[in-house]
Amino acid sequence: MDAEILNLLRDPAGLPFYPIVFQGLYILTWAFHALFVFLALGSMGLSIFGGFKQKSDNNWKILTSHMLQTGKISVSLLIVLGVAPLLFTQVIYDPNWYTVNTISGLWVVIFIYTLLVGYSMYYWYYYANKKQSSSSSIIGTISFLLLVFCGLIMHVFSVQVIQPEKWMQWYAPNGVVDTSGTTFNPETIRFLFIIFLSIPVVGLFLQNYGDFLKTNEKFDEKFISFARNIGTKIAILGLVLSLALFASWAYEIDKLADIYSIIIYISFIVLILFAKNLKNSYLTTAALIVLILLISGFREYIRYNLMFDIGYDIYNYPLNIEWSSITMFVLTFVSLGGVGVSFIATMAWKVGKSNGVLDASKDRTITIMANMLLWILSVWCIVYFAWGFFTLFKNSL
Amino acid sequence: MEQIGMFPLFYFPEIGSAWIMGITGTIHILASHTSVGAALLFAFLAHKAYKEDRPELYEYMKKYGMFLLIFSYVVGSITGPGIWYTATAASPRGISALIHNFVWVWATEWVFFVFEVVGVFALVYFINKIDRKTHLKLTYAFALASVGTLFLIIGIISFMMWPGNDAFYQTGGVSDAFFGLTTFPHLFLRIGFMIMMSGVIGLIIASSLSDKELKNELIRKMGVISFIGGFISVICFMWYITTIPENAKLLLSIYMPQIINTKIVLVIVFSLYFATAILKPSFINRPFAVVMLFVIAIFGLWPGEKLRESIRKPYVVGQYVYSNQIMGRDVPGKNIKNEVDIIEKHGLLKVNVWIPDRLKTITPENKLEVGELLTKISCSNCHSLEPTGKYRPLLKNFVGQDKEMIKSFMQYSLATGAIPYMPKISLPDEEFDAMAAWIESQLPKEK
Repeated sequence: MDAEILNLLRDPAGLPFYPIVFQGLYILTWAFHALFVFLALGSMGLSIFGGFKQKSDNNWKILTSHMLQTGKISVSLLIVLGVAPLLFTQVIYDPNWYTVNTISGLWVVIFIYTLLVGYSMYYWYYYANKKQSSSSSIIGTISFLLLVFCGLIMHVFSVQVIQPEKWMQWYAPNGVVDTSGTTFNPETIRFLFIIFLSIPVVGLFLQNYGDFLKTNEKFDEKFISFARNIGTKIAILGLVLSLALFASWAYEIDKLADIYSIIIYISFIVLILFAKNLKNSYLTTAALIVLILLISGFREYIRYNLMFDIGYDIYNYPLNIEWSSITMFVLTFVSLGGVGVSFIATMAWKVGKSNGVLDASKDRTITIMANMLLWILSVWCIVYFAWGFFTLFKNSL
Repeated sequence: MEQIGMFPLFYFPEIGSAWIMGITGTIHILASHTSVGAALLFAFLAHKAYKEDRPELYEYMKKYGMFLLIFSYVVGSITGPGIWYTATAASPRGISALIHNFVWVWATEWVFFVFEVVGVFALVYFINKIDRKTHLKLTYAFALASVGTLFLIIGIISFMMWPGNDAFYQTGGVSDAFFGLTTFPHLFLRIGFMIMMSGVIGLIIASSLSDKELKNELIRKMGVISFIGGFISVICFMWYITTIPENAKLLLSIYMPQIINTKIVLVIVFSLYFATAILKPSFINRPFAVVMLFVIAIFGLWPGEKLRESIRKPYVVGQYVYSNQIMGRDVPGKNIKNEVDIIEKHGLLKVNVWIPDRLKTITPENKLEVGELLTKISCSNCHSLEPTGKYRPLLKNFVGQDKEMIKSFMQYSLATGAIPYMPKISLPDEEFDAMAAWIESQLPKEK
């Protein structure tokens, strides 16, 4: 595919806002999506391991059930957070995304139904483990493998989009059109690197978990140091493995000595030192988020440069700016996103720290946020109808 | 030479790729409508439990909440993006048109989703962990946010039918696209259905309670709620069909005789079901309630969604993107040009960038292969192409016809846009000839 065709495949309607904003939002939201992918797979993997240990070890019993809960919530979050990068990528890289979605159309369908079965089985696993059922490990393992397989399919989409020179060959090998949507071309090292990041992420999460439970009387010191020590070991091992895989991937794509790769190597090393030595694990997690943002940026750096070299530049995508809907987004993001998520996060934090029922009505911060949230949502609904009726009357009369 | 930005074709044998989206959509609608309806019901129950100081209702809410979490959020949150994915594979330019119009509306909806997903866990798991007053506020906020997601998506799916006036085509503005003629009737139709679904799910949960008095009280309440929801839904459906475009009305009049009897039977069956719940709550047990949920899904939702998809034809978006990826009219506000004339001038083989070089010129050797490809590109979004095809099988329409008759149909009906629910597609003689030759070759031979 040459630049002329790639530009032809762009949506004629143009972009409703500046491409750099979509690109930035893509990098940011992919990082948060990936963080929960890693946490989900990591905690699920650890819970399967714990399933074998929990019969003889009470610490593992507690940890396994908590890892299961963590995985369950993380899968939900990774799904919802995954919608955003999906949205932004097809705004600016629509030729790439839609081409790959059609030539791999059957995999698109398989992805959705595998995810549905995999996550439903997770709940089955959760209840089987609760009942101490002997089949829980098998159910958990199948669910885990299905979710990893979903990751593999998404990975295939990500690598196929950056190979426009092969699209025609995949769609019509030897000039014979294949509409079955079965194109599937993974890149092993890149996939392994991404998936192995689950190990350090769950390790660092365990450090946070240990620190968070310190003030909770329900958990004794032995359990907390058990969780923290395992976390540190897993985190360091996982970071070393991930660093090696990243270097292999960088070598494969001829970016071994690229300045961006070097920044990532340094970040890995800093994170290993933090994981080993820092007492405040929340700072280590902050460093982890920076590393994942860098990795997200690196993926985009590769894609942008590859496409630019072919002659497709997202920065010259025609603009057709749409102010009303961006205003709605920004106001909703700041008000509902800010207050709503902070309200629930604050409450969850305080519930986790409290030893009985939390009387949040006596907590000034939570009460103010709860009241603000109800006002925000009510005003939002009023504005929606006012805006809607005004538009409808304007266009109908 | 002018070319057009069509994408490659994905075709799912026997069913057709668009119906994969329809199936995913039906599952999603069952789950998502249940979840929004359940959020409203949850707020109602929490309000009652708090104001009347009835702790036993919290137990019911906990049970209901687990169901809400497992069924509607797991299924809904996956099939939601699932519709998007499958629609992308089936109609990439249709989805692109929606994305490039409504990206910020979707981003706004995403903010609501994030709040909902963290909210639903808090809602269920905090029932006995925080004070009831704060929990009540959380349920109110959750219900409003859930309805908010409907407010946002409804403008987009209503636009898929049509904006209902000329303003959008001239301005390209999101407001003009989003708040079209069908948006509000469609919104209230779905709110009614959601309320009904919350009652239907509520009946399943209530019928499994062990406290007989509470069980009967809740079954009665769920019966009333379902009845009200169903009533709103039926009334708003009638309002909705007055706002759809002429081509949709025509299609509706074709499909109506087939579906009207089923609809009447469904309304009677469910009225009786809800009346039984209100008047004789002890008759309602769990297996019965579960069966009734599946009755709605199979006989109510699937035909309903199929109808909504069907009556939108020949378009998939806003009465300007045809189901076969071709732009069917000018949209000056979005710099979109009608592509029908470009195809008429140069032929589909020349303007579609995904045609391999060896098929760009028709020869006696490749004629059938080209004919098959052109038929797939032009027709397969709505028609299955196999002799055994399940949905709108194409070949069935040509049984008993020879190549010239098939070609005449194409030249005098398709090329002129004479059939209002089929895309206008005018191809050069040799391309129609190749299509007709391939279709003829697939027809059962008379013995």
